[in-house]
Amino acid sequence: MIPRAGAGRPTSRAVCVAILGIATCGNTDVYAAPQTFNTALPVAKGEFIFREQLFYRNAGKDEGPDDRDLQVFGAVSVLGYGANSDLAVFGVLPYLDKRLRLDRGPGQRVARHTRGIGDARLFGRYTVFRRDRRGSNFRVAPFVGIEAPTGDNNDRDRLGRLPAPLQLGSGSWDPFGGLIATYQSLEFQIDAQVSYKVNTGADGFRFGNEFRFDASLQYRLWPPDLGTGVPGFLYGVVETNVRHRARNRIDGVADVNSGGTSVFISPGLQYVTKRWILEFIAQLPAIQHSNGTAIEDDFTLRAGFRVNF
Amino acid sequence: MNHILRAALSLMIVIGALAPAFAMGQGYRLGVDGLACPFCAYGVEKKLSEIDGVERVETSIKDGAVIVIMNDGAALDETAARQAVQDAGFTLRGFTKLPAGDTGK
Repeated sequence: MIPRAGAGRPTSRAVCVAILGIATCGNTDVYAAPQTFNTALPVAKGEFIFREQLFYRNAGKDEGPDDRDLQVFGAVSVLGYGANSDLAVFGVLPYLDKRLRLDRGPGQRVARHTRGIGDARLFGRYTVFRRDRRGSNFRVAPFVGIEAPTGDNNDRDRLGRLPAPLQLGSGSWDPFGGLIATYQSLEFQIDAQVSYKVNTGADGFRFGNEFRFDASLQYRLWPPDLGTGVPGFLYGVVETNVRHRARNRIDGVADVNSGGTSVFISPGLQYVTKRWILEFIAQLPAIQHSNGTAIEDDFTLRAGFRVNF
Repeated sequence: MNHILRAALSLMIVIGALAPAFAMGQGYRLGVDGLACPFCAYGVEKKLSEIDGVERVETSIKDGAVIVIMNDGAALDETAARQAVQDAGFTLRGFTKLPAGDTGK
């Protein structure tokens, strides 16, 4: 095992993580048209798209004795570049502020806190199928990438080393990949994505692998009739995210209070012009089957903008 | 007589100054398949604007059409237009040279 500074003994780490049992602390899967995942729409050759998304996540459904309450503020920056009309590369860099409050004894409530750069993602997306029609298009694009350990995974506070799920980064190089399909017309747009992420682990801790299925429907609310030129579009948005995460492993032993399956339903709005987009969405948990005493989500709010350069 | 000469000279100067403003380059109407949202239209317009001689590009998203107005004396090559639309990630469906003075509106 790779030695690490400040690491507790395996037993104490296991207890620490089991007590927390926190799932993903910040969602960095924010790229293009849908607000909670990617799209297969093209990035023009030689052009850049920048996206900034702010989010606030609250997870306070705790069946354990510690009455844990997790809050995460985040700002996720995404830069997309069109290498050619089919290949686009994306870089994603999150800034996270995580705060966990929990009971540590009778009448003693403590807060554990960290903030800074999280794990960056770099991935490429290649369009393998494209069918363009007048006023509509359909695309299928696989993608593959890596999550780099740019976030601190050994942060400490006055109570000692923060548990792994509360750290800013995982400390590991984690590959991921998937497939996106997008159908877009002048009236509406549908995106669907399946993805899988392999978490490799570091310093004796490994997050469980993640499977995701995401879907999005965007319906043009305004203008009701298209005139000349390129008017701004106001879309009503409904997205759903199905996530399954395997149990975390500590020194090879599965943590029974981690992982699980969740389904989010997310209503939102998006205003789209030629040069920029403003968007807002609220992610609400519809189904949560967490393993053991893993903490569950209350809601996540996301707001952001995108700019065409 | 001097007044007449001065007036004629002034008129010629005014006409000379305004002539470029009224000069209209050749216009083209491009049918672009796949164009279905404003954010994507920007990429098409930007790629077409990078072609030498292009003065102005205007999109009608409802019609899936892009009007390209060239500088006076310049012509738009169909192959270059097709490549520009392709680079933006879409497909050129039609390429029509507009009658002189027609801006596609």
